[in-house]
Parts: sequence; structure tokens; C-alpha cells
Amino acid sequence: MLEEFRLLEKHGFKLLPYKVVKTLNEAVATAEKMGYPVAMKVVSSEISHKTDVGGVKINIRNHIALKLAFKEIMENAKGKMVEGILIQKMARKGVELIVGGKKDPQFGYMVVLGLGGIYVEVFRDISARICPINEKDVEEMVQELKAHPLITGARGKKPINFKSLKQLLIRTCGFLKKEDIKELDLNPVVFDSKGCDIIDVRFTR
Amino acid sequence: MTSEKVKNMKYIFHPKGIAVVGASTKPDKLGNIVLKHLVGEGFEGKVYPVNPKYDRILGMKCYSDVTKIKGKVDCVVIATPAPTVPKIIQQCGKKKVRGVIVLSGGFGEVGNIELESKLKETAERYDIACIGPNCLGVFDPYTDVDSLFFPRYKLQRPGPGDISFVTQSGAVGECIMDLAAHYGIGVSKFISYGNGTVLDESDVLEYLERDKKTKQVILYIEGVKDGKKLFERIKKVNKKKPVVVLKAGKYGKALEAAMSHTGNIAGNYLAYKAAFRQTKVTEAEDIEELFDFVKIFGQPLPKGKRIGVITNGGGLGVLTTDAIEEQGLLTSVFGKDTEKKLREVVPAHRNIGNPLDVAADANVELYKNSLDVFMGDRGVDGIIVAVLFQSPAINEDIVDVLVKASDDRRKPIVVVAVGGSYTDNYRRILEGKGVPTYGSPLGAVKAMKRFVDYSLSKKNK
Repeated sequence: MLEEFRLLEKHGFKLLPYKVVKTLNEAVATAEKMGYPVAMKVVSSEISHKTDVGGVKINIRNHIALKLAFKEIMENAKGKMVEGILIQKMARKGVELIVGGKKDPQFGYMVVLGLGGIYVEVFRDISARICPINEKDVEEMVQELKAHPLITGARGKKPINFKSLKQLLIRTCGFLKKEDIKELDLNPVVFDSKGCDIIDVRFTR
Repeated sequence: MTSEKVKNMKYIFHPKGIAVVGASTKPDKLGNIVLKHLVGEGFEGKVYPVNPKYDRILGMKCYSDVTKIKGKVDCVVIATPAPTVPKIIQQCGKKKVRGVIVLSGGFGEVGNIELESKLKETAERYDIACIGPNCLGVFDPYTDVDSLFFPRYKLQRPGPGDISFVTQSGAVGECIMDLAAHYGIGVSKFISYGNGTVLDESDVLEYLERDKKTKQVILYIEGVKDGKKLFERIKKVNKKKPVVVLKAGKYGKALEAAMSHTGNIAGNYLAYKAAFRQTKVTEAEDIEELFDFVKIFGQPLPKGKRIGVITNGGGLGVLTTDAIEEQGLLTSVFGKDTEKKLREVVPAHRNIGNPLDVAADANVELYKNSLDVFMGDRGVDGIIVAVLFQSPAINEDIVDVLVKASDDRRKPIVVVAVGGSYTDNYRRILEGKGVPTYGSPLGAVKAMKRFVDYSLSKKNK
């Protein structure tokens, strides 16, 4: 996870503030500095599904909750090598999208946009473009989604920040190519009218 | 820079002499059918049968190989067993033949990859424009070059026109040809490229991009070897001439398990779909839709997406406007001027609106006058005329009215003709006169939508 974060940052992706801490005191200091609410995730090469073992706590709003969560995570990870705990600022609320990437054997790198989160494989409401892309391509990708009113503003809601969506998709194309990525998920990425937060990332080369 | 092999394709369509290697006296052999088509129909060049087994075929002198022919040979059709093909191509090279069509199968498609590479090397050494192997080859109604080995009484050939067909599959290709002939749609060039070993789909498209007789291109593909090359080519061609593509093999099994959501949802078709959307080509879902789209692409380009509907069958008009809404087009809103003009032509007790329902007792004259008003209204970008041909007040004069409006070529006009054999007869007559006619409102509207999309994508560039 940390490796992925660092590589994304190297390519100019803006991530939510995060830090890996080893002690409870360090955890409290970090969270105060970032500002609540925060999320905590166990960092361990021996644990691949963090949620399943109780290694993830979200929406922590103060230092009391943080202390409890810290202890609980350490308890749940007992017997495993723990390298630390990742403290990350909670993401904004908004529309959850998936930004994906894939290397196609015929057409090369392509980017995929869809409604993110857990329903992505159910509704398969996605659109794609072959890299490189421009801003017009991004606009058309959005229009192709059945869910596009969620993005362009439905029922009195403000539209999402288009500039950040365009930047993110265009940057993803560059990233796929430079790092020769086979498959990529930025899922979910949460958008509101001001910007976006990448919550999780996965890729294979 | 256009490569020599692409330039040399002109020798395939305009040869002074054609040789058929593997020519045969047996009526069911490919080499016999192709030879008969070349000598028995309109082809005006010289034809040379080649087969070492015979002295004469169909009363013509038969040669043992192409190098023995004295006259000029621009194009050679090969219908011999696969292992013999590379050597024959070499002889073609020595004879300075510029175009070769290899009908024979038995190459890469059955695992004989080495033999196919040998064919490729040989053809490329001589800059030969080589179509195939494993294909039907070409048909050109202007010159009557015809390597399609299906007898003409079974597979009708379309007449000359301005649409070219490029197909990976011979079977689908011949169905499309047969249907084009049946619908009365004219063709410029038909090219079944099979394995695409020397000339692939992109090369063929490059030739058609410059071909003066081609105004529209239809492409049938299952898979391609070089997606990037196709991407760039269809993008270029489509800007000059609309490309309608039919892609098969969308839902093959994924070759390897995906680890990500993206990998799971993005099957191999998603990249094709993305490429088609990005290059603005028009994708058809099946053969019927392909023809629906092809018909309308010969019309003048619409300036926008506001559609006017005229009907003498109320319900037909409603179905049409429903489809317009559903497909994302707009129904024109008439200005004061148009309303006034319509008021003058439509009987007083009728409502004026869009759809304009001229009612079941409307005669041809009323249709004509209403159409004239629609033609003059700048707020109408395209017209759909849903004619109830069954109505007693409509007679054969309607054909003239519709054809005249269409020939005016100010805006696209299509006709909806729903009905049995009587109505179908009108459909055929109108099609034959170049008026796109559809058997259902949705079919007409879908075609109009794609045509509007194409037109607007050109405008935005």
C-alpha cells in the first residue's frame, strides 16, 4: 500500500495526508496535526485483507477513539509482523467513482471511468478511452455513463469538480505508460464540487 | 507516405490482364467459377487460365505458369493448395504482377504460421499488393473484377455505387453483398481480406481513403493484429468519408484472470468500443443495423439534432417522437413563421404541431405542401416522414413528392413505411430512388441519431 502511495505521489497524484506511526503517542500527535476525522490501517506484509482481520478503523473523531482503535488494531493483528499503523485523513463526502487503467494487447493503454465502490462489477456502468486522451475525451466519457447526472449534478446537487476529474484521468494515462502498468484501480475516488480524494489504489505491472 | 503495396492495389481493381492460377474445368472448383465470372460478365481485360494439367480451359489456351504468359498480367488470382502459393507469388514477382489475390486457405488460421510468413516475405520482396490468403478476394462492379467464388445465381452482385465494404470474414461479407444487391444498394468496392497477411484492414482502408469512387466505408472485423494502426487509420478516413463498423467476437473468454475491478469489467471489446467512440466512427450492432445506418449516410449532413416529423398516421408520429426523445434527439419547435405557413396549407380543423399529423384523409398534395414548409424552416435539421401508405387518400404520386424533396439535398429526409407487402413495395421503390426508408420508427430514428452524431463530430473538429 505504502509503495503504491509513494509511486502515485512521484507521478504527481495528490493523496490524502498519511503517515505510518509505530507508537500510540506518535499516533495521537499525527492525528492532531492532520486534524480529525482520520482513518487507521494496519501496515503488515503478512496481512493482505486488512478489513477482514479488523485491521481498519475509519471515521475516528478524537484522541479517545484513536487510542481505543490503536489498541484494537494491535490486538487483532497479534501474532503477525506489524510494521506500523497508517494514519490517514478521512476523505471528503461525495460521488464515488472508479478510475481504472489497463494495457490492452491491441490498442495499448486505456483508461476507464465508472461509478465506483462496491457496485462497479454489478452495473458495469463504465466508459473507456485509448491513451493519450484530452479534456474533450473526458467530457465524452462522462456523458457515456448512465450515471452521468450524479457527476454533472442531479436533483439540485452541485456538479463534481470537473477540472480535477480531467486532470486525474489525463495523469492516469501518463502514469500507465511511464510505469508500464498492466492493470490499475483507483477505487474509490471521491469527488465533490471542490476536488477529489483517492481512497484506495491497486495495480499490477 | 503510402507504401508501394497499397498503391499497387489499383492493379487489382483496374487490371489490363488477370490470370487465374488453379483454373479448372470442373464446375464446382473455385478456379472454374472465378474464371467463368471473369470471362462471362463485364470484365474487359484479358483473362489467362493457368494450370499445368490442362492445355485448354473453357476454350482458352491454358498456361503452365504465369511466367509463360506473353501479355501483360497486372493481377493474379490464386486458388491452389496452400503449400504451392509462395512459389506462385514468386513467379508473379518475376512476371512483374502488381496485385495478387490468394483465395486458398490453409495458412496461419490452421497453424501453418511458417507458410504464411513465407507468403508475406515473398509478396513484400516484390511490393505486391496481396489480398488474403483465406478470403473471397474482391468485387468491383465498375470493372467487373470478381474473385468471389460463389455462383452469381446464388449470390447476387450489387450494382455500381459509392459504398465500399471491407470484411475480415468471407461469409459475413458475402451475406452483406447479397443483401446490398437485394436492397438495391450500390457498391464501389468489396474487399474480403481474410488473414490480412500482406495488406491488413488498415492498408485497405488507406487505399479507399483516396479512392474517388468510394464515399462511404463499411468495415467488418473480428480481431485485428495492430490496433494502434487501425485507430489512426479509421480516424483519418472517417473525417473524409463516414466509416460504419461491425465488430464481432465481443464476448470471448478472457485469456487470463484479472486481479482488479478494471480487469474484470474491461473485456477485450471495451478497448474496441473506446477506439470507435474516440475515432467517431459509427458502430452497428448487427447486419440489419449496418444497413439502416449505411442508407442514411448518403444524405446531406444535418446541421443539428432538431427533427421534424410529418405523418398521416397519428400513432406512427407518436412512436417516432417517442423514439426521438429516447435516442437523445430533439423535436423541432416551430417558429411563428412556420406556424403561419403550415396554417395556410393544413385544413383549419387540424392541430399544428410536431409531429405534424396531417391526418388519415390527407392527400399527397398536403404532404407536399407540408414538406415544403419543413424544408424551409431553419429550426428543422432533419425530417422523418412516417407515411401510412395503406390510407385510401395516398396514391403512387407520393413517391414523386418524397423523391423530389430528397433530391433537393438541403437536409436529410427519411421515410418510415410500416406494413405488409403493399407497403413494402413502396419501401423498395423509394430505396431504389435513394430515399432511405425504414420498416419501423425506431429504426429510422436510430439511423438519424447516428447520422447527426457523425455530422456534429465533424463540425466540432
